[in-house]
Amino acid sequence: MTTTLNRPAVSRPAASKPKPTFRQRLNVFDMKASPYLYIAPFFILFALVGLFPLGYTFFVSLFDWHLLKGQGEFVGFQNFAEVLQDRFFWNSLFNTVSIFLISTIPQLIMATIIAAVLDQNLRAKTFWRMSILLPYVVTPVAVAMIFTNMFGEQYGLINNILSSFGIDPIMWKNDTLPSHIAIATMVNWRWTGYNALILLAAMQSVPRDIYESAAIDGAGSFRRFFSITLPSIRPTMVFVIVTATIGGLQIFTEPRLFDPVAAGGTARQFQTTVLYLWEMAFQRQNFGKASTIAWLLFLIILLFGIVNWLISRRIATNGDDRGAASRRRRKRSSAPDANAYDAGLPAQAVTAPAASAPAASAPETAPEQTPRSGK
Amino acid sequence: MEFSRLRKISAIAGVASLALAAAGCSGGGDKAASADNPVTLTVTTFGTFGYDDLYAEYEKQNPGVTIEATNIDRGSNARTDAFTKLAAGSGLSDVTAIEEGWLGSIMEVSDQFVDLKEHGAEDIKANWVDWKFKQGTDPDGRVIGYGTDIGPQALCFNGKLFEAAGLPSDREKVAELFGGKDATWDTYFKLGRQYKEATGKAWYDQSGFVWNSMVNQMDEGYYTKDGKLNVEGNKDMRAKFDMLAAGTAGGLSSNQTQFDWGNGKAFVDGSFATHVCPAWMLGTIKGQLESAGGGAASGWDVADVFPGGASNWGGAFLSVPKSSKHPAEAAKLAAWLTAPEQQIKQSAAANNFPSTLEAQAKIVEAAKPNELFNNAPYGAIFESRAEGVIAQFKGPHDSVIQENVFGPALKMLDSGKATADEAWNEAVKLLNDLVVNN
Repeated sequence: MTTTLNRPAVSRPAASKPKPTFRQRLNVFDMKASPYLYIAPFFILFALVGLFPLGYTFFVSLFDWHLLKGQGEFVGFQNFAEVLQDRFFWNSLFNTVSIFLISTIPQLIMATIIAAVLDQNLRAKTFWRMSILLPYVVTPVAVAMIFTNMFGEQYGLINNILSSFGIDPIMWKNDTLPSHIAIATMVNWRWTGYNALILLAAMQSVPRDIYESAAIDGAGSFRRFFSITLPSIRPTMVFVIVTATIGGLQIFTEPRLFDPVAAGGTARQFQTTVLYLWEMAFQRQNFGKASTIAWLLFLIILLFGIVNWLISRRIATNGDDRGAASRRRRKRSSAPDANAYDAGLPAQAVTAPAASAPAASAPETAPEQTPRSGK
Repeated sequence: MEFSRLRKISAIAGVASLALAAAGCSGGGDKAASADNPVTLTVTTFGTFGYDDLYAEYEKQNPGVTIEATNIDRGSNARTDAFTKLAAGSGLSDVTAIEEGWLGSIMEVSDQFVDLKEHGAEDIKANWVDWKFKQGTDPDGRVIGYGTDIGPQALCFNGKLFEAAGLPSDREKVAELFGGKDATWDTYFKLGRQYKEATGKAWYDQSGFVWNSMVNQMDEGYYTKDGKLNVEGNKDMRAKFDMLAAGTAGGLSSNQTQFDWGNGKAFVDGSFATHVCPAWMLGTIKGQLESAGGGAASGWDVADVFPGGASNWGGAFLSVPKSSKHPAEAAKLAAWLTAPEQQIKQSAAANNFPSTLEAQAKIVEAAKPNELFNNAPYGAIFESRAEGVIAQFKGPHDSVIQENVFGPALKMLDSGKATADEAWNEAVKLLNDLVVNN
C-alpha cells in the first residue's frame, strides 16, 4: 500500500526513466524467475541422476575400462566399432524387439478389451478394477520366480498339463520363440491391468450421450466401440503405446530371472540388450563396452521415440479430419469435461521415464488436442 | 587416505559413532569388540556353508559382536555380487567368501583385500593342507584368504537304480566296478551305456559337472601354469570333450538344469543314476532331496572311487576386504570360522570336507556315517579321495570359461542340438568373444 503511494513521488522527478524500488525489482524478479525456480527441483534432479550419468557413461565408453581395475587406455570410438560388429549385440537387439512385439501387441489389445468390459455397467465395479491392477502390485521378481517355475521344461506346470494331453513338452527355456513367449507372458501379466486402467479412465470420459444417440441411430455395440470409443481414446492410446515402447526396450528383470545362471539363456536365446549390457559390465567386467552398449541403446530408444512421435502426430491429424464432426458435437455438449480429460495427458506423461526422449512425444500430442477442444 | 575417506562417507551416511571414528584413526588395529564397544560384522557366503550355528556360538563367546549373515544361492552369483561391490568400492561384507573358481579374478585385485598376515596368518599357517594355504596367497606373498573346505571328488550313485539295472549296489563293490584306484572315464562311460541299455534312463544329470570334473583333474586346466590360455589346440582336453560328447549323444545325460534339478525332483524320480560328487556336493544334494521331499530312501550313496583319479573341484576361502570397517575383528572371525574345531562342525552341518589337517583327521577318526547317503563313512571316503590332489592353477577367467564358454557348448550337446565338433567350435568361438577379445 505504502509503495503505491510513494511511487509517484519517487519516479516523477526522475524524468522519463522511473527508477524501480527494491521491492519492485523483487517483484519483477519474482515474476520472471519464480517459474524457473518452481520447476528447478526437477531439472536439478534430472541433471544429477539423468544428464550427468549420461555424459559420464559416454566418457567411460571411450576408454578401456575394467570393472575392478578401473580406467585404462583411451581408445576413442573403438568400443563402438567393436560392439557394432558383435554378434551378441545384434542377437540381443533381435531378442529385445521380438519380446517387445510379442508382449506389447497382445497386451494392448487385451487391455483395450478389458477396459471396454469394465466400462460397462458392472456390479462391484471397484472390485473388478482393483483385481486387474493386482498383478501390477506384485514385484517383478516374485512374478518371474512363479512363472519360471511354471515354465520349467521337465517339471513345470505347463509342460505337465501339455503332456497329460499327449502333447510334447515345449522347451520354454532352450528354444528361442517359446522362451520369448514365456517372457512376454510375464510382462503381459504385470502390465495388462495397468494399461487397461489407464484406457478405462479415458473411456470413462467419453460422454455417454454420444453412445445414446448412436444407439438410437441403430449402431450395435461393436459399431459403437469401433466408431466412438476407439477414436475418442486415441490420445491416451498414443501415451500407452509410447510408455509401453520405452518399457519394452528396457526389459531386464524377467529374462534375468528366467535363467538365474547365465545371462539370458545358455545360448543367449532370450538375452535382451539391457541384459547383455549387464553381462558385459558385471560378468565380463568390461565397463567400457558396457557403457557403449548403454549409449547405443539410448540412441535406439531415441530413434523409436522419434518414429513414435511421427506416427502419433500423423494419427492425431488424421483423426482430426475423420472424427471432426462427432468431436465438435461432443465439445459443444460437454466442453469442460473434455478439457479436463485432455489436460490430464501431460500430467500422465510426466510419469514416463524422464531421461528418455520419447516421453516428449506424449506432451507433443497434447497441445494439438487442446486447441481442438477449444474450437 | 583410505580411512579418512571412509570416515567421511560413514559420517555422511549417518552411521558414524565414536567407536567408528576410533577405528578410522587407528588403522588396522581397531579396538576390540566388547560389551561396551559393540561391533556388527557382516558375512557373505554362498551355496551350503553350514555356518548358522557357528555364528551364534561366536556371538555368545564374544560379547559385543553381532553377525549379520547373507547367503547367496550359488558360487557364480556370489561372484557377480562380489565383483559389483568391488567395483562400487563399497558394500562388501566384512568377511566375504570366495570360491576357488573365481579366486584367480580376485587375485588380480588382491590389494583390495586385507593381508591376513597382519592378523596372525603365519601363526596358523600349518593348520591347512599345504596347497590350500598357497592358493589363498597372492603373487606378492600376501595372504588374502583362509581356506574353509576343499572339494575332493568321489562318485555318488543311486543304489536302488543300480540294483534295478543289475549292477552291484554295495559301495565297495561299486568302487571296484568302476576300477578302484585305476578307475577311468572309459569305464565310466562304458558302464553308462550298459545302464542305459538295461533301463533306458540317463547316467548323469547333465554334461557340465562331468566336464568340470574332467578339467579339474588335468595337470593344467583352462590355463597353463604360467597363466596362458590353454583351450584352443589342446588335444588332451579335446579328447576328453569328445568322450563326453559321445556319451551324451548316446543318451547318458538327463539334460537337467545345473543347481536346479527341477527343485530336486530329479534326485528322487530316478532321472539319472550317478553324480560327480566333490565333498560339498553332498550338502547340495541334501538340500535338493529335502526340497523334493526325498530322504535316505531315495537310494543315494557315495563310493570311494573317481574316474580318472584324484580330482578337486571347488572349495572356498574367507577373506576380509580392505573396505571393512573392522578388519581386525573380521580377520579374527574368519580365522575362528576356519579353525579345525569349527571346520569339523561346518563339515557336519554342510556335509563338506575340511581343509585343515587336524579337522580332516578328526572326521576320519569319528567315522560318523552320513545317514542320507546310506550311512556312508564320508570322512574316510573323502580323506582317501583327497590323496594325490594337486591344486590346479586357476586363471583370471576360469569361472567365466567354465560357466559362460563351456556352459552353453555343453548345453547344446545335452539338448541334442550339436555334434561334438560343432559344440567344441562354439566353445572356442565363445572363448574368443568373451575372453580373448573382451
